[in-house]
Amino acid sequence: MKKQLIISTSIDLVRIAPERIVYIASDGNYSTLIQSDGEMRMLSFQLGQIEKMISSQLGSDGNIFIRIGKSLIINRSYIYYINISKQKLTLSDVSSFSHTVTASKEALKQLKELLEKECK
Amino acid sequence: MMKEQKEIRDDQIRVLGEVEPQGFFERYKWIILIASAVVVAVGALLLVLNHKKQQADTVHEPALFEPVTTVEVVTDVRKKLGIAVDSLAAGFTELRDTLINDIPLRLYIPHNADMSLHIGRMDKSDTSVVYVAQAADVRADNGGIVGAFVLKGVPRAWGLSKKGFCASIDGKVTVGVAENSPLFEQATEREGYFFRQYPLVKDGAVVDNELKGKAIRRAVCDRIGEIFMVETGTPESLHDFAQALADLGVDQAIYLVGSSAYGWAVDATGTVHEFGEDNYYKGRRRMPKNTSYIVWRRK
Repeated sequence: MKKQLIISTSIDLVRIAPERIVYIASDGNYSTLIQSDGEMRMLSFQLGQIEKMISSQLGSDGNIFIRIGKSLIINRSYIYYINISKQKLTLSDVSSFSHTVTASKEALKQLKELLEKECK
Repeated sequence: MMKEQKEIRDDQIRVLGEVEPQGFFERYKWIILIASAVVVAVGALLLVLNHKKQQADTVHEPALFEPVTTVEVVTDVRKKLGIAVDSLAAGFTELRDTLINDIPLRLYIPHNADMSLHIGRMDKSDTSVVYVAQAADVRADNGGIVGAFVLKGVPRAWGLSKKGFCASIDGKVTVGVAENSPLFEQATEREGYFFRQYPLVKDGAVVDNELKGKAIRRAVCDRIGEIFMVETGTPESLHDFAQALADLGVDQAIYLVGSSAYGWAVDATGTVHEFGEDNYYKGRRRMPKNTSYIVWRRK
């Protein structure tokens, strides 16, 4: 069985397959998880804590996620469109959902170079 | 235990779950360790052989007195700044004046007292209070509290704009500097207190701040586990204040509202020492309803 990400607090627990996560955005002391079925879930953890959970629970399988700056963790499988000058990054499965987020130009440039390097 | 992630800036990206390349020591760890062990073993063998040879060469004469060498292990030469107080004595604040880098500092060291937070005007007739000073800043635009704030387990603000924090949970006070702190969650779960302010000193080193100008400065500090507050006697820049705290040997320190912010301390004789301006909020000048205070009360 493929590894699942488990995010547990003292009162609740979220168990989700990594590929069902489109991205996670920072919201102060909380984080918002956007799922591929369109659902949003508020998590009472900061983004850095969730990053640690992904690394410790998923190990090398966690490399489908990329931390972008202080505010985003994205699922690289859904990267559809990068526009550096407009600072836009669109995450989509090109059929049922499309989410556009913003990031710094430098971060998007590095992301673009990473993807270009991987396809060589 | 989860591995500590490095800080990330907004102009950086990082692939998760990737193992960082090993450093020189990690890569050759075993070779270095085995080589070190061999060197130590050879050295020890030579010493033993040399010692036996010397014993054979010299004839011992009987001696009445031989020098005895005692080894004393010194762990931390710093001593606490406050006096030792009987744990059954009534709580009070010890006031100590000192001069660091030509900056007059007044130290307020609470004894037999617990720290909590308070929102709104303080009751000056509350005799359980031994120290009070304004804690978190208030936003100029909407009057909200700047930075995360937990009042007896209830979160009242969630901001992350300041990296310094102070928490009081189950009687334990923690002062620190971190963007993410589990103490915020713990404070909400255990009816604790938590607030954020500008960081001044982290692990004994000055933290640079952008706040400019000179004013009377205040801080809450942790020095070898001793928690106390500090106030400058003269207007100082935040950097000079932080440097003075670091030179005082403070391990962690965060800012408290300075300038004319009002507060007071009660010493061992029951004398009240006020600071700031009590009459600042008068007439058309209204006190923000979210004005918060760090309060030390007798146990």
